[in-house]
Amino acid sequence: MTAHAPDSPGSFSEGYPRSELARLLARVTRPGRYTGGEFNVRHKPGARPRIVLSYPDVYEIGISNPGLQILYSVLNDETPASAERAYCPWPDMAGLMRAAGERLWTLESMAPVAGCDLWGFTLPHELTYTNVLEMLDLAGVPLHATERGEEDPIVLGGGPAVADPWPLAAFFDAFYIGEVEHRLAAIVEALEAPGRSARLSALAEVPGVWAPGRTEGPVRRQVFTAFSSTPPVLRPVVPVLEAVHDRAIVEVMRGCTAGCRFCQAGMWYRPVRERPVDLVVEAADRLLEETGCDEVSLLSLSSCDYSGVHEALTRIRALRPGVRVSLPSLRIDSAAENLSRFAAGQRGSITLAPEAGTQELRDAINKGVDEAQFQEAVAATFAGGFTGLKLYFMIGLPGETDADVAGIARMAARAGSLTREMAKGRARLSLAVSSYVPKAHTPFQHEPFAGEQTLRRRQQLLRDAMPRNVRVSFHDVAASVVEATLARGGPGSDRLVEQAWRNGARFDGWTEQFRLDAWQKAADTLGVPLGESEAVLDAPWEAIVDAGVAPSFLAGELVRSGRGELTEDCRDGVCGACGVCGAGVEMEVLG
Amino acid sequence: MTWWLLSFARRGPARYLSHLDTSRAVQRTFARAGVPIALSQGMRPKPRISLPLPLPVGAAGSEELAVIEVPDDVPGSAAALRALRAAAPPGLEPLAVVVAGAEHPRPQAREVAYACRVEGDAGALGAAVERYAREASVVRERVSPKGRRTLDLKDYVAAVATDAVAGGTELRFAIRYSADGAARPQELIDLIAEWAGVEPVMYGLERRHITWKGLPPGLGSGDGRSVSS
Repeated sequence: MTAHAPDSPGSFSEGYPRSELARLLARVTRPGRYTGGEFNVRHKPGARPRIVLSYPDVYEIGISNPGLQILYSVLNDETPASAERAYCPWPDMAGLMRAAGERLWTLESMAPVAGCDLWGFTLPHELTYTNVLEMLDLAGVPLHATERGEEDPIVLGGGPAVADPWPLAAFFDAFYIGEVEHRLAAIVEALEAPGRSARLSALAEVPGVWAPGRTEGPVRRQVFTAFSSTPPVLRPVVPVLEAVHDRAIVEVMRGCTAGCRFCQAGMWYRPVRERPVDLVVEAADRLLEETGCDEVSLLSLSSCDYSGVHEALTRIRALRPGVRVSLPSLRIDSAAENLSRFAAGQRGSITLAPEAGTQELRDAINKGVDEAQFQEAVAATFAGGFTGLKLYFMIGLPGETDADVAGIARMAARAGSLTREMAKGRARLSLAVSSYVPKAHTPFQHEPFAGEQTLRRRQQLLRDAMPRNVRVSFHDVAASVVEATLARGGPGSDRLVEQAWRNGARFDGWTEQFRLDAWQKAADTLGVPLGESEAVLDAPWEAIVDAGVAPSFLAGELVRSGRGELTEDCRDGVCGACGVCGAGVEMEVLG
Repeated sequence: MTWWLLSFARRGPARYLSHLDTSRAVQRTFARAGVPIALSQGMRPKPRISLPLPLPVGAAGSEELAVIEVPDDVPGSAAALRALRAAAPPGLEPLAVVVAGAEHPRPQAREVAYACRVEGDAGALGAAVERYAREASVVRERVSPKGRRTLDLKDYVAAVATDAVAGGTELRFAIRYSADGAARPQELIDLIAEWAGVEPVMYGLERRHITWKGLPPGLGSGDGRSVSS
């Protein structure tokens, strides 16, 4: 492999930044969002192609995204390309930029984004879609792919939200479906073709790329089959501005086959692939050195399922005494055992996710946790020294009744009693309750969204039934309505996104910024319903995306859900015939 | 344990950090350089580091100071300085490390020289500066979460001057520190802008020189010393 070492940024001149930008930066909150200067930032002046990577949210959120760190690291260090970054300017900066005629710039070179060859967006979820349009507009790049000319960058979308690309179809020249680490070199090579059209054609040849008019759908989701044998990112960009997550991250495992029927990530990232413990421990050691962090997180969709979790924890702690090791997602059925093994010396709070309030509903969603396991997990939390416990539930799941919602309050009351008994006032218990939105490529992909009225009524039901000493927070129902509208959007749903953006919708995932009126007005203008609570009979996303999970498997899971039957995790030896494995794609679990 | 003084410059992208972010960046630079910082005692130990003179967001500083406690077995300061320089983020530039000894040094700023760009009519800005020089007293009110207080800027801000520079006007001034505090750069900017009838926007703020009291030996002699590498 050829090394493409980026330059050191060197010293900064008196004229940094240029006065036009300095004037803007003097007027906004947190100007450091727009100037970069992080540890391990890469500078490759003059390198071609020039690629800009974006996460369509504010800097503090975007910099914490591990996916973008992978792309940035591989592109800069392993290809001739230069990869720079741009995040979505907060409304105060966006207003000033428009007034001053300043175009969106990158953090590395402070040069206009619009001058790049390829602009790649990681698309995390539906409530960031209007930010994509905001960024295109601020960059001076035509919103519609069909309006772009020779001088405009190719705009490429990827990330988990491309499970259904229709709501953004008009704004992207192409989408990449699936994991991209092993295709980045091919994408860079495609950009060497002369002229925009030739580049797009070359890009369309890269496996996983859907380019309208150039690629026949559906496109098979790409799986990075060398995941287990490849080290994680070892020189991540470390923010100097306080970010959402401030810890070193080692991705220990990709994929999860627990089979929760509501979970898109559980279906999307199959099959399970685990990294060897040696690789994980070496990476943790190197990352702690490179980042200066005092905490390392063993990241995956379900870190306690990682076969090497105990060995990795023990060895990292022995190698780096005093360093905290965190597991971001704990499964309740194994939490008690795991907490008793590794909770020693931990502080702070943890989150457990029973998801639903009754055994019947938990079985229906394939989250076969029982009451005894739940209570053991709560007790183990406080016995392990944690001082906070957050319980995560969803309302609006298919088949849910008011009795299931009352069950959430009962579980909260039991947890509250245990908290009082064991922590004796030294610990906090809280509940986070979100609204379930059915997603594409899941067993519930055709199920009706619960709807605004039902969700509001059940939130109130829960508020009334909740014990007084438990703090509960709810997800904004109006935002869920928008999310539900876009999550299974078909051809033409991009018009709703554009109209809402033109009406002022931005940062829809931020409660204080979310404007339902902008969306409602857009829906009224276009004559489309918002958050319709009818079953979705067709699956327009299947015309573009073949996620690898067989429709027959999803349909079978829906039937089993109705019967309350559990489906075993395939890593325990029983293949569920989901259709992902085969043709070189296999589950890789440590022996 | 031993106390160190780190002199550093903050410029480029680092100038847009807050005081807390700067402190965290220095701390992380030590960690990346493999130079441990001593921790406080108690339930939640914190690194023993302080930056005695906060630098406003957006301001560059060419001779900032951090006071850090390190374990006794940390290797010499010269090797540490090399490692810190290699480990620092862009714009945060370690300049010198001085071992202060076992006693906690508590350097206090006495006078600080600033310069910044101000937008607006250069003539009006010059007139405002001349008026400031003429006034015997300029009392301003400061509102903070702790309440309201008044201060006379003339007690704290001296040597105010403007110069025409490429693309605008440079405002220079010096802030004096006393036992009861100091004025903030923005308070002078607001005053001059108000008198000149311009928008109170400063950019390119630079802290050009700091006169310290109580610097330990090794960074000069007697009071009125500045830190240099």
